[in-house]
Amino acid sequence: MRIAAGEYFLQGNEACVEGAIASGVRFFAGYPITPSTEVAEGLAHRLQGKDGVFLQMEDEIACISAVIGASWGGAKSMTATSGPGFSLMQEAIGYAAMSETPIVVVNVMRGGPSTGQPTRASQGDVMQAKYGSHGDYQVIAFAPASVQEMFDLTVESFNYSEKYRVPTFLLSDAEIGHMRGLLRVSETLKIIDRKEKGIRRPDEAYDVPDELVHPFPVFGKGNKTMITGMTHTDTSRIEPEDVKVHQELVKRLSEKILRNRKDINKWELICPGSKTMVISYGSAALGAKEIAAANDRVGLLRLKSIWPLPEEPILEVARQCEQILVCEMNLGMLYWPIKRVALEAGCKKVELLSKIGGEPPTPSEVRHKLREMGAI
Amino acid sequence: MDIFEFYRQDRWPHVFCPGCGNGTVMNCFYRAFNELNMSLDKTAFVGGIGCSSRIPLYINSDALHTTHGRAIAFATGLRLAKPGLKIVVFTGDGDLGAIGGNHFINGCRRNVDMTVICINNNIYGMTGGQASITTPHDFLSTTTPRGNKEYPLDLAEIAVAAGANYVARWTTRHVHELTKSIKTALQKKGFAFVEVVSQCPTNFGRRNKMADPTQLLDWFKESSVRRDKARLAAVDHVDLNLAGQITVGEFVDRNRECYEELIGVEKHE
Amino acid sequence: MKPVIDPKLCKGCNICVYICPKKCYSKGTEILEAGYFTAVASSSEKCYNHNRAGKLVCELCILSCPDQAISWHEETEEEKKK
Repeated sequence: MRIAAGEYFLQGNEACVEGAIASGVRFFAGYPITPSTEVAEGLAHRLQGKDGVFLQMEDEIACISAVIGASWGGAKSMTATSGPGFSLMQEAIGYAAMSETPIVVVNVMRGGPSTGQPTRASQGDVMQAKYGSHGDYQVIAFAPASVQEMFDLTVESFNYSEKYRVPTFLLSDAEIGHMRGLLRVSETLKIIDRKEKGIRRPDEAYDVPDELVHPFPVFGKGNKTMITGMTHTDTSRIEPEDVKVHQELVKRLSEKILRNRKDINKWELICPGSKTMVISYGSAALGAKEIAAANDRVGLLRLKSIWPLPEEPILEVARQCEQILVCEMNLGMLYWPIKRVALEAGCKKVELLSKIGGEPPTPSEVRHKLREMGAI
Repeated sequence: MDIFEFYRQDRWPHVFCPGCGNGTVMNCFYRAFNELNMSLDKTAFVGGIGCSSRIPLYINSDALHTTHGRAIAFATGLRLAKPGLKIVVFTGDGDLGAIGGNHFINGCRRNVDMTVICINNNIYGMTGGQASITTPHDFLSTTTPRGNKEYPLDLAEIAVAAGANYVARWTTRHVHELTKSIKTALQKKGFAFVEVVSQCPTNFGRRNKMADPTQLLDWFKESSVRRDKARLAAVDHVDLNLAGQITVGEFVDRNRECYEELIGVEKHE
Repeated sequence: MKPVIDPKLCKGCNICVYICPKKCYSKGTEILEAGYFTAVASSSEKCYNHNRAGKLVCELCILSCPDQAISWHEETEEEKKK
């Protein structure tokens, strides 16, 4: 059922499907939306009978709601969408954050705003992934930049959502989702299952202290679980009027992620210590990657996880270099928090190469900008 | 089982207004559940947002209090992830028919096994008395201060058209019939829908010259007509539901395959 | 069996007064601990279930009471004679 170890030539979205199956996904609810539809179609084939349940729901709100419900039934659940659908899902994402439900949402980003460019890439939803729903909450988000990472980071998305009981996003884009490339699957994969109430397993999830991430009370096991989006106490009393209860709950939802940044942060570093560093993620990093590989005056910090923002590697890089170029496929979103961290670390110059319109920044565009900056 | 094995003792008494129909529906449900010897550990309750959607939080079982209008979607995921779990959804007229309309229609169509009890009080009660999609024409509410210009929706007829396996509507004046219908609904394979027209004296009755719950109950009694004996066929009259008549009874009882059977998930228990 | 109203649970809606076909209930005339008029089972001997054990005949009040304030109790020897 799970893809056998070996080498494959697959589409990015297909690799995501394989990653989900390998993680043990047992429930998928999706709605057709370009450029993510292949994920739904792939899982429609694979989730049958005892393997799991595939549902095409009536709208994206139904999808995300069903995914959350299925997670409470004990299943690893996932949905896949793009910008317009992602916008619809925000209320329920806030609900998943508040009720601490492990879910994975794949967003294959396309040109926006609104209907925008259905078949072209962008990175326009990166802020929405963190701030899309109302209120304060933390999420985990990964940004794959290759077919291989569509597989690997899907597996990681499941692992982290289960470990920290938090909605986790795979922020891909139309380029990565639709490109075809090499996927290498190894014999063994690290799979983490949620810490379940009343069960003790030698699983990494159990390393997180119970006060930070409570054991998950699956439905149908006599737990008399009461789950709500309203402010509640740790013993599931509903206390929307209580100031202290609200403070404790909302702060804990943040702390459980922020305190574990070291565990969550993922990045790739090419030529660290270069005078000019490019900081980028997803397909926006591909152009700079070519340049950094061939030129010792320019390095690349490619963020593989973007929420929580990996401040530590950014700080490290900012301390050592003279100037930073942030490449994004939007008009500047992660640029601002990255710039803040870099300036605080003493870096003198942080510039932005923003490319919208549907294509990632090409190597020559990046080279042109770097020349303007005096880097090469 | 004893009343406090059924209800959460630490959350008692409930906060519903004096004379609220919710408590009556809870009684009928408790009676039906008990007579069928059902187990709370094998049942999960799902509610949206609203007064009636809070009922699951009073029952001593797994409860999922979801976002407004989406109870059926959450319940669909929960049921298919754990097909052995009996699902009961408590919702309201606005939660189900307005914001949740799409999920309601597709829930009936998809026919996943669940029992949905919609407590229709013709108003958005919890938020203070705004007009709902079942508020009768010309009635007053906080958002229709000069009378409701819109016409109400007939939720039970929609469930019939959309394919639910069992559809019934009663009022809180028909406690015995309601209990019987809930029993049938709980045992039914597939999507079973029971609509209960219920009194909201505080936010509906009070603004429409029926502040006393007994006045509302009288109104239900006067307006109720058995569906097969209705003065006007549902399709003939434009003023759906409560145009001087509330059609009650068991509307449909059929045996379309439930979704779990269609996709080959564990056999229905 | 006779119906008894728990004044701690009763919210004084008087649905029982309205619904009982034998007029066993009436509106309260004394303000008890709750601070408002709770209903009373003033003529519970008129109940269909008076002197009846086992399967009860009419339970309209119990099913209708929104606050689960009514419950069946065994009659005293005195009450059985009414």
